[in-house]
Amino acid sequence: MSFKKNVVSILVLLVVAAVSTALAGEKNAPPSQKIPKGAKVFLAPIEGGYDTYLKDAIAKKKVPVEIVANRDQADYEITGTSESQKASTAKKVILGNWHSREEASITVSNIKSSEVVWAYSVHEEASTHGKKSSAEACAKHLKEAIENQ
Amino acid sequence: MPRRLSLISQALVALILCLVIYPLPARSATSQENNSNQSQNKEDQSQAADTGKPAPGGQAKVPVSSIKSAPTDEGQLATVNNAKIPSYAKVYVAPIPGGFENYIIAGLRNKKVPLTVVIDRSKAEYEISGVSDSEKAGWAKMLFIGSQNSNEQASIKISDLKTGAVIFGYSVHKTNSVRGRQSAGEACAKHIKQIVLE
Repeated sequence: MSFKKNVVSILVLLVVAAVSTALAGEKNAPPSQKIPKGAKVFLAPIEGGYDTYLKDAIAKKKVPVEIVANRDQADYEITGTSESQKASTAKKVILGNWHSREEASITVSNIKSSEVVWAYSVHEEASTHGKKSSAEACAKHLKEAIENQ
Repeated sequence: MPRRLSLISQALVALILCLVIYPLPARSATSQENNSNQSQNKEDQSQAADTGKPAPGGQAKVPVSSIKSAPTDEGQLATVNNAKIPSYAKVYVAPIPGGFENYIIAGLRNKKVPLTVVIDRSKAEYEISGVSDSEKAGWAKMLFIGSQNSNEQASIKISDLKTGAVIFGYSVHKTNSVRGRQSAGEACAKHIKQIVLE
């Protein structure tokens, strides 16, 4: 009799396990997209030395993160790309515009989980301060993302 | 009493078997539903792909389908077997010359596409790869048209890393792109969103 009761209880447990597995397998969990204040961030080299501009902009805009020089010490990594095009003669003569064209896109990823937690791209057709402007735009939006979460 | 217990145990065994067997046909039925619902779209898209050359007026024909048609300067979207990506699936964006992958990731975030982008390919279920090209405005364009905007074109594909099958493809061409590669990246993200199950 007790053997049969044991069998029934095992079967009940199996049913519960099967139901929970079926429910869990239905949907992937959304990622926890949060960058905590004071997080250690490593700035990966970006072509054209854009990482330097970004570092300065993060300091200037007082983004609440700590920049570290070693990737192993960091919780997050900033990678990206940038492109700067100086005003051509045609642009200067025909359009009367001396300002450069700036494009940049950065990605912040969690090193442990490998998940991208934040990304931003900026395009400035006539950037008054060149790369500095686009880097500050990135830093400004990163700050907003950290503070408004 | 023993008979009652045996009946209960039989019922539980049957329930377990149902739970184990049910997910497979249910999923295939769902995908078949999607296939039947969107078979018209597929036909339209394949027709559009066949006649994908721009019309004499300079604009490509926009297919009539339930998928929201893209503006005239955007490209064609093609889903293979009307495949869908489950929400918050892990996606790896492969490096694209010119760093276009960063613009795609930023576009995915900007367009609030419910996917989890990972930087480690081994942790991903899907992979986005592609090419992009940017052509800056020349002096003639500035002089005759008065435009300093660039021409952007990009093409991406999404492949299932488990099966290796390409499940989605999209190409975009923007003449006079006001926001350059950012616009192209966001266009790609917008169309990826259409195949993500929310």
